[in-house]
Amino acid sequence: MSSAMHTSSIERAIRALLITLAVLFFMLPIFWLLTTAFKFGRDAFAIPPKWIFFDFTLKNFQDIWTSTETPRYLLNSIIVSIGATTLSLLLGVPAGYAIARSKSALINASSYFFLLLLMIPPIAMLIPFYLVMRNLHLLGSYAALITLDAIFDAAFVVWMMRSYFQDVPQEMEEAALVDGASPLGAFMRIALPLSLPGIVASALYCIIFSWNDFLFALMLTSPKTKTIPLGIMASFSSVEISWGKMAAMSLIAIIPALIIALFLNRYFVQGMTMGSTKG
Amino acid sequence: MRPKSNRSLLFVEKHYLLLLAPLLIFVAAIAIYPLFFSFYISFFKYRLTDPNQTRTFLGIAHYILAIHDKTVITAIRNTLVFVAGTVVIELLLGLGLALLFAGEGRWMRALRSWLIIPMALPSLVVGLVWKSLYNVDFGVIPYYFKQFGITMGRGPLGEIKWAMPSVILIDIWQWTPLVMIIFLAGLKSLPHDPYEAARVDGANRWQSFWHITLPLLKPSILIVLLLRTMQGFKVFDIIYATTSGGPGTATTVLNFHIYTVGMVFFKMGYAAALANILLIIVAALAILYIIVLERQQI
Repeated sequence: MSSAMHTSSIERAIRALLITLAVLFFMLPIFWLLTTAFKFGRDAFAIPPKWIFFDFTLKNFQDIWTSTETPRYLLNSIIVSIGATTLSLLLGVPAGYAIARSKSALINASSYFFLLLLMIPPIAMLIPFYLVMRNLHLLGSYAALITLDAIFDAAFVVWMMRSYFQDVPQEMEEAALVDGASPLGAFMRIALPLSLPGIVASALYCIIFSWNDFLFALMLTSPKTKTIPLGIMASFSSVEISWGKMAAMSLIAIIPALIIALFLNRYFVQGMTMGSTKG
Repeated sequence: MRPKSNRSLLFVEKHYLLLLAPLLIFVAAIAIYPLFFSFYISFFKYRLTDPNQTRTFLGIAHYILAIHDKTVITAIRNTLVFVAGTVVIELLLGLGLALLFAGEGRWMRALRSWLIIPMALPSLVVGLVWKSLYNVDFGVIPYYFKQFGITMGRGPLGEIKWAMPSVILIDIWQWTPLVMIIFLAGLKSLPHDPYEAARVDGANRWQSFWHITLPLLKPSILIVLLLRTMQGFKVFDIIYATTSGGPGTATTVLNFHIYTVGMVFFKMGYAAALANILLIIVAALAILYIIVLERQQI
């Protein structure tokens, strides 16, 4: 792009102003959440708002951690995220490879079937899935939540890994096949290691999807298997509504998102763009 | 891109089928079976609260009921307003942000990585944060509006005329960054030559944006339109966290209404019928999306 050719100082000032406004718009709500978690109730509700100068406290975190439920919510979220991600990668990565390499029209067309699956509104899948799980007496189990998450995760992984494998050069695999390796061996020993960045990007998407999921967890979990988003809602329905506690729990809920966005940014962006724009 | 096969339509390589099969079986069992069940159960009256769990066959009565159900019509209208509002604004804002943040300097990279945080957050948390910002008693937004002489009555989420725009703004906040990164990828892949030619011909920057950049970005624009439209139909968490569909039915989108019918009133047959209607709308869009992706490849 040749947009930086002749920029007048007025134009640069306008650009700087717009950039500042955009950053403020997108960052202030996050800043508000971060600070509310460290505020006493009186400062969180202060009018006019106290953006920067308030009494710092860790009371909210003590409160949520000593209430026996929080560690369990956290553990449940970790179990569900890891379970769904592992299952989706195990099923989705080989399938993505098969679709990328196969010359069969039938196998190639199946990628669109997975894309369609990805587009299904969650509630349309949840209503019948809930009934099926109810009949199997699996409501409230980790298995129910993990399998339903894995459907949407795996559909994304296939789609993403297919585009990724298509960009990985085939020459080395072909050489291995000539040397007597089996197609499965070529996949395991050559294609898999070469596609590690794509697998990382897919895994990040799966972790975020399961960790952030609220609707599925709302309908499929029991008090024992509740995940963090449900814990956050629980801090509302109790006798007193505590925004400080809500903020503190939300802060725990957004840690993976922050880590990924700030440190694994490249992989995350790659996953989000490749997953939605590559045919 | 990939070599076109000239073999028979039913030709499959066994070893590739072997790699694909586990997922196909999993999907058939976990997703396809429930979807067929959903189709089947939509012809029955089936209430989970009924102690005898009876299913009475109704035929297509649920579908006829849906067409005459005022709440359903309102929900469909609200969904369309929500989708149209979010998609149009996110498209324009996302394109603007992409142009603004397209630089490759260290600062630009850092700012871009900050900007993508919203879309990684749980939508529920996003909804709750904005709910507290919108709160009529201690919320930041009504406070600053009041400083400018605008009082918001029962607050942005409590007034019928403000509720939908307020919810739309939350979605814009969370998902415009995704639109931005799609456009950034699109901008990056633009060819250099047309701009050189335009410069030689004496075109100004606005003209080259309008006549070169925009037409070349058409694939990205289409993808954003379809992707965000389909995702707009899925909105649930932020509605649940902020308004629960209220005030009245001002923010009841179809998705949320199906949840209420099925999971609050446990009218499973009717909920399944409504879910199938939603499914048909989204499937039509999804097929359009696939055609666009396919065209783009050529």
